[in-house]
Amino acid sequence: MPDRVLRLEAVSRVYRLGGQEIRALDKLSLEIFAGEFTAIIGPSGSGKSTLMHLIGGLDTPQEGRLEICGHDLTEASADELARVRNREIGFVFQSFNLLPRFSVVENIELPMIYRGLGPGERRKRATALAEQVGLGDRLQNRPGQLSGGQCQRVAIARALANEPSILLGDEPTGNLDSKTGERILEMFRELHRSGRTVVLVTHDPEIAEVCERVIEIRDGKIRREYRNR
Amino acid sequence: MNLLIAFEVGLREIISHKFRSFLSMLGIVLGVSSLVATMAITAGIERGTRMVMQQIGGLERVGVTKKEIASDELDFWTFSPGRTLLDAIAIRSSAPLISHISPEISEYASLATAWGNSGRGISGVYPDFFTINLHELAAGRFLADTDLENNNRVVVLGQLTANQLFPGQKPPEMVGKTIFLNQIPFEVVGVLKFYQNEMGPGGRPGGGRRGWDPYRGKNETVAIPFTTLFYELKSGKFPQDTPSSVPLQNLFLRIGDLNYMSEALDQVRAALEVTHRGVEDFDFETRQDMFDRIEASMRSTRISGGLIAAISLLVGGIGITNIMLASISERVREIGIRLAIGARGRDIFIQILIESVTIALIGGILGVGAGFGLIQLLMWLAPGDNVPLMTWSSVVISVCFATLAGIFSGIYPAYKAAGLDPISALRYE
Repeated sequence: MPDRVLRLEAVSRVYRLGGQEIRALDKLSLEIFAGEFTAIIGPSGSGKSTLMHLIGGLDTPQEGRLEICGHDLTEASADELARVRNREIGFVFQSFNLLPRFSVVENIELPMIYRGLGPGERRKRATALAEQVGLGDRLQNRPGQLSGGQCQRVAIARALANEPSILLGDEPTGNLDSKTGERILEMFRELHRSGRTVVLVTHDPEIAEVCERVIEIRDGKIRREYRNR
Repeated sequence: MNLLIAFEVGLREIISHKFRSFLSMLGIVLGVSSLVATMAITAGIERGTRMVMQQIGGLERVGVTKKEIASDELDFWTFSPGRTLLDAIAIRSSAPLISHISPEISEYASLATAWGNSGRGISGVYPDFFTINLHELAAGRFLADTDLENNNRVVVLGQLTANQLFPGQKPPEMVGKTIFLNQIPFEVVGVLKFYQNEMGPGGRPGGGRRGWDPYRGKNETVAIPFTTLFYELKSGKFPQDTPSSVPLQNLFLRIGDLNYMSEALDQVRAALEVTHRGVEDFDFETRQDMFDRIEASMRSTRISGGLIAAISLLVGGIGITNIMLASISERVREIGIRLAIGARGRDIFIQILIESVTIALIGGILGVGAGFGLIQLLMWLAPGDNVPLMTWSSVVISVCFATLAGIFSGIYPAYKAAGLDPISALRYE
């Protein structure tokens, strides 16, 4: 049995909007194991963004339990959450979210800075990661000088910087044309094949087809769950 | 987070908003420059004061001056002989707290040598004259007790006088030569040092500058023995006088220990009451009042300059706070990204704080430059004795104040940035 990297137990998250109560997550339970390639799909408003925030250690549940890589985060402080985000989670966003005034290599170094690595080691690792995603010749470029696909590859390299337990993509192909999106998706598949745990949050059924395990969310609950192939 | 990187990030922010950053620095620049200038001006006054102190013989020198006597004592005034040598003798024997006594008489005389001539007030002095006035020799010797006992025809010259009488000659060559005081030959036994301000030979020497030269009187000295002056130049005019009854021109005292100033003056007063037969026709002139005045003017310079600096730093600090708040609301998304990849609140806090300190530091460095310019301007506008003096310590202190202003003005924006919620910061457009 592989290690369990994520465990949600009867998790609820309620927002109040203008006196109205919105139950974004309703007693949802979910487990993800190391090496899995999971897609979380659902239409907008289904609660999948809220779920992603919990998986990514950006938020804590109001009810239920949240555990990431053995860390119980149900009542974690902001600093504990930051530490888990830094070490265990690698975020890849729809809009890349690179720092525009920093070069490719500096963007990749960022998570290692907050981890406290020395400058020499940082630069070495960041360069290796840039080469791994095929941007070894663009180290000193700014994000503005890169194409969307290249930006997303920088973001993936940045997400891998601290060897996270979970690679978490939020609509990672949403801002890309279909051909480039295909290639980014292929990259995630390759990372999965090399043993990484990948979770993609999307509304795109085509992406879901590529994943091993698909979890469909609706109204804050798991509507159905299945495995491809 | 690594501090160096935070600095680098701060610099990057500043460079990418050059004009905005510069505007926000202006207050700090103004504050630091006025701080530097104020400290330079007070340092200049201090140096000027030291110079004057040296010239007048320090706080230990006290003058015994004439005083108009009170109306109820008018009937007695003829009883008092005024200030005479007898006063000096009385003080020496009954005022042990006085270390040196210099009675002086003076007479105007013509001075002539083979090379030049002049006319000057000649001082008849005792050896203590040189000690009390802090004289130093360039060549030869001071006057000695034997010169007074034997009424020797010897003279000690200040350099301005000496150069007039012996143009182009060096002090050692002048010693031993003869000058004529009212046609009476005198041997030059000593030449005094040339007194000038601390700026040294490269600066503006005592003679050739605008304004008052505190050393002029010292450099024009012509000193001969008290008794010689009396017998050779004075007794012919006042045959009824003796050396001990001739009215003194000056009577200066040196107090052995400044801590016993009032006790010493009490001793002198007691001695003089006897010689002046109970008539209070004398007074003491100490330098305390003068230095109190200088102190007060320095204090007011410090306060007004410090106030300008404090207000400017405050305004500058508020400017930085404002700019940092603007910068943060522009960078909410960046902060969200940093939080998402693992920055803690305190990492963001330090980053913003360092950015504001960096702005303040650059402003401080520019301010030191501006302060230097301000000092040059002041020196050009008002060249005088109290030339502003820029010190390294004033630079360090000013930059420290700028840094402090940067820290204080960064705290609120940094606190605000550190408290951002990562989810809403990431969504921020």
